[in-house]
Amino acid sequence: MIEIENVSFYYQGNEQMGAVNHLSLSIPKGQVVVLCGESGCGKTTVTRLMNGLIPNFYKGDLTGAVRVNGRDITKMPLYEIAENTGSVFQNPRSQFFNVDTDSELSFACENLGYPKDEIVARVRETVKDFKIERLLGKSLFHLSGGEKQMIACASVCVTAPDVMILDEPSSNLDVRHISILAKIIQKWKAQGKTVIISEHRLYYLTHIADRFVCLAKGKKVFDLSADELRKQDTEKLSALGLRTPDIRCLEPEHAGATGKQSLCFEKFRFSYKRQKECLQLENFCVPKNEIIAIIGNNGAAKSTFGRCLCGIEKAGLVRDGDMTLSYKERLKQCYMVMQDVNHQLFTESVMDELLISMKNPDEQQALEILAQLGLSEYAKRHPMSLSGGEKQRVAIATALASDREYIVMDEPTSGLDYKHMKEVALCLKQLKELGKSVFVITHDVELIYHCCTYVVHIEAGKVTNQYAIDKSTHTFLRDYFLLQ
Amino acid sequence: MPASELLASPSNRKGIRFDPRTKLFLLITLCTLILSTDNSGLMLYLKPLLALIPFVLLLLSAKYWAGFLYFVLYVLGFVLELSWGAFGNGVSGFIVLMVSAIITRFTPCVIAAFFLMTTTSVSEFIGSMKKMHITDKITIPLSVVFRFFPTVKEDAGAINDAMKMRGITPKNPMLMLEYRVVPLIISTVKAGEDLSCSALTRGLGAPQKRTNMCDIGFHLWDWLIFGICFCYILIFCFQNQICSLLNL
Repeated sequence: MIEIENVSFYYQGNEQMGAVNHLSLSIPKGQVVVLCGESGCGKTTVTRLMNGLIPNFYKGDLTGAVRVNGRDITKMPLYEIAENTGSVFQNPRSQFFNVDTDSELSFACENLGYPKDEIVARVRETVKDFKIERLLGKSLFHLSGGEKQMIACASVCVTAPDVMILDEPSSNLDVRHISILAKIIQKWKAQGKTVIISEHRLYYLTHIADRFVCLAKGKKVFDLSADELRKQDTEKLSALGLRTPDIRCLEPEHAGATGKQSLCFEKFRFSYKRQKECLQLENFCVPKNEIIAIIGNNGAAKSTFGRCLCGIEKAGLVRDGDMTLSYKERLKQCYMVMQDVNHQLFTESVMDELLISMKNPDEQQALEILAQLGLSEYAKRHPMSLSGGEKQRVAIATALASDREYIVMDEPTSGLDYKHMKEVALCLKQLKELGKSVFVITHDVELIYHCCTYVVHIEAGKVTNQYAIDKSTHTFLRDYFLLQ
Repeated sequence: MPASELLASPSNRKGIRFDPRTKLFLLITLCTLILSTDNSGLMLYLKPLLALIPFVLLLLSAKYWAGFLYFVLYVLGFVLELSWGAFGNGVSGFIVLMVSAIITRFTPCVIAAFFLMTTTSVSEFIGSMKKMHITDKITIPLSVVFRFFPTVKEDAGAINDAMKMRGITPKNPMLMLEYRVVPLIISTVKAGEDLSCSALTRGLGAPQKRTNMCDIGFHLWDWLIFGICFCYILIFCFQNQICSLLNL
């Protein structure tokens, strides 16, 4: 039983972002509750209130009481809360403490001082439950994002907590891993655990969750059952920043690509040092000046393809009409907006960022590009002070400034709400209108429906399917994302 | 992209396992003795033997390539150091002496440290620090630092790729440093925050006695290494007496 009673919280130094305002919520034992709403609505803050990170780790102004099983956890130290509350976070990269999987699985039990035999037994049982035997004894740095997230869930489960709190757990997962995650949540539900999930993607939860609680500006907007949620008007849900609860209802928004397939890839073969070949694309062509979605499971070598396309890795040839581009020329012609956009912005202001990208720095032209992408007001701001979506647009602006023809985006919408996803889609369409060829590596089916015109499906380093999106082919997409 | 890690995971650990305290003691003995002595008297013979220990340990841990490289480098350095006179008394002789002295003095220490780092897991590290009664205030931050090396390496690689892709190559070295370091700091701070949250919500810092799952304890090999180190320390302390006894 979790009770949030008239709680208000404001982060120190940032009063607006993620604040919670006189919120009351009561969650009986054994319920699965989804917290949803647009970015910054306070849903992550609510999860932090429940696992004690507020006020123990994040400081701010807190009033009201949060009770778990009758005890006020705002007055308990974190290690006491940890005994019956488990937390899984968004980024699989940065939530493991050890380097190897075995130590990671026993980590929580070790901290709580369980006897050795019991830890061995619990770890063994959890491993069997999660079917992760093949991950044992491995370095966490060699696992894929999905596998890391499985380990994160399992490492929380070993202490058998009653309450599970997940903060956007699916952001970095592919279709297959999302379905595994859904099964894990279902199992927790069957075991009578209380599960709280803060999430943007709703479709995989509609058949599991008991309640959907939507927040806006730190206040509760609605509190509905899954059935009631499905009956809601889609436009009303979109206005609240929610993704679609049912991807079966999606329809392609545009006519598919009709152009000639004039962009050809040859001999895209690549292997990382001392590993077997992961990319084996011999010959395939796609239409030019379209928005091409690249889909496939984690580890299918989509990102490797993107890196080769941009010339970061030395592989293959690209033929565009009668032009032939080697990897060296592609380094000058292609631009990649990386998944972690923080890695590619270097300077002190957005304007500088554009100027260093240009062959002949021209402030007037830079201002025009900023205006095109709706970034004019940020010209003087430090790139790192912007939000994630804005940084992404700055990266796209630098691509335009450097006059690149081919733009690759690696998972541009992971962890974004409806509104921001829509903005990315709009931005991609603008790029298309400017005559660019855009490649989007993505697991986000809604983004594909909103803006993509062509799909290339890669599995295990090979193209397994490719098609222009229209009324007849979009069933392939739907089937892939529903795992059929 | 796969990152190579500094701290070991069981999958890349083969051969004989030593207690982390043995490795630490060996590292300290090795560094002190090799850096604080010259090549006169007994030490001329004993130092190469001491430098041989990390080589043997590398072989025992199935790190053959690193062992081979170290061996070649050390032998080369040692031979050059003994024969630098052949290069004349001028600048060339001086450079040979300097390079060879650096090789023979620093490589054994670096290799012993490499051995310590690559064959110890975070969990073993925490366990042995506990056994040496070192407070959590030192152990936990240190273990987090170790945990961060591979992450920083991954980030630095991504930043490098981004610079290459954007074609940014500033001529000014300070600017170059700034472009690399600022994004690195920002992503490291973010990762540090996430990591703390995940560790704290799994009970790190609880006051009860922490269980440790790895077997830490001294075995035959550990005693052997300790014995050799003690012998060396004794010889070092009494080298003048030993020399006069042997009439050297």
